[in-house]
Amino acid sequence: MTDYRNEISEETAAFCERIAVDLRRPERLDASFDARLMESVRQEAQSLRDKTRSRSSWWRTERVLRVSPLGGLALAAGISMLVALSTLAIGSRVWSRSTGSVAAQAAIPTRTDTVNVVRFVFADPNASSVQLVGDFNEWTKGATNLKPSGAPGVWTVSVPLHPGRHEYAFIVNGTRWIADPLATKSSDDFGTESSVIHVGSSAQSSS
Amino acid sequence: MSEQSDAQLVAEILGGDTESFGVLFQRYRDTCTRFAVRMLGSSSDADDVLQSAFMRAYRNLASCRDPDRFGGWLYQIVVNECRTFASRQRRRELRFVPDPDLIDRAVAEPVDDSAEPMNEHVEQALAALPVEQREAFLLKYVEEMSYEEMAEATGVGVSALKMRVKRACDGLREQLEGVYND
Repeated sequence: MTDYRNEISEETAAFCERIAVDLRRPERLDASFDARLMESVRQEAQSLRDKTRSRSSWWRTERVLRVSPLGGLALAAGISMLVALSTLAIGSRVWSRSTGSVAAQAAIPTRTDTVNVVRFVFADPNASSVQLVGDFNEWTKGATNLKPSGAPGVWTVSVPLHPGRHEYAFIVNGTRWIADPLATKSSDDFGTESSVIHVGSSAQSSS
Repeated sequence: MSEQSDAQLVAEILGGDTESFGVLFQRYRDTCTRFAVRMLGSSSDADDVLQSAFMRAYRNLASCRDPDRFGGWLYQIVVNECRTFASRQRRRELRFVPDPDLIDRAVAEPVDDSAEPMNEHVEQALAALPVEQREAFLLKYVEEMSYEEMAEATGVGVSALKMRVKRACDGLREQLEGVYND
C-alpha cells in the first residue's frame, strides 16, 4: 500500500479509493454462462478422447504415408513473412505442385481421408515470440506458438486444419497483431484485419 | 461448495474428471467476471472473453506448474485475454474520429438519476484510459492486489506497474474531478 501512495498524491489516492468502492460491486454474467462453458469443456474432452482413439487406430494400421510439402513465401517491408503450406496425405494419392509464391492462398484438392497440415512460417529478426491465432484455435492467444526454425529470425509451426476457409493472424512479442500482408484480408466486427486461407477446396484463392 | 483443494481438483480434471472443472472455475468466476466487465465495459464482451479464457485454462491445465495456486495462474490467462480483446477494441475505436465538443457536452449534461450516474462517468473515464493503465488501476484498486501479485498476473515489472497506476489515477482524477464529487 505504501509503495503507490509514495508516488501518488494523497488527494489523488483518496479520490481513486472513492471511485474504487463503486467499481468493487460484484458483476453477474448471463445465467447460461456456466452451462455453456461446461458444455464446451465436455465437447473438448470428448474430442480429445476421439483423437486419441483415432491416433492409436492409425498407428496400428499399415498405411502408405507420403508427404508433399508446398510452400509460399511472402516478404513485406520491414517484416518478411512466409506462410508455407504442405499437405500430409494418409492412404491417398497426394496432389503435389512445385513450390510457388502463394502466401496463404494455396488450395489443395483433398479426399475425405486426407489430413491437411498447414505449415505457417513467419520471419522477423526482431521477434522474441510469435503466436498463431485463428478460428481453428478460437483465436486463443498462446494456444499455438511458433518455434524458431533454426534460421535467424524465422519461426514455424504446423497446424492440422480441416478443409475449408480459415482466418488467422500472428501475434508478435505478445502484443503486435499482424495479418499476412500478401494474403486476402478479412476484418472482424472491430475492424481488426486477419488473413484468410482456404484449405483443401477446389478454389485457388479467397475473395 | 467442495472442500477439495485446488490441487486436488486439478489432479482429478487431468485424470479425466471433466465435471471437477465446474467446481474449480466457479471458485474464481465472480472475481474474474468483475475484472473482465470493468476492463471491457460490457457484460456481453466479458462473457465471450471469459468463455475463451476458461476454455484456454482447461486445455492448458497440465501446464499449471503449481496447482495449489491455480487462481493466480487462471488470473494470468484472464488478464491476458482481456488485454488482447481490449487492445482490439481500442484499435477499432481509433478508426472513428472523435468529436471533442460532443464528448464534452455528453459529460457535462446534468443527470437526473442520482443512483447510477457517478458509475457511468467512472466507466466512461476508465474506458478512456489506455488499456495498460486501466488494467493496472483495476488490479490495484478494485481487485486490491499487491504490486507483486500484479506483476505475476501481468508479466510486467513492479516499477512499470507503479507508473501505470499513477498515470491512471492522475488521468481519472483529471477526467472526473468536478463530475465525481462527494
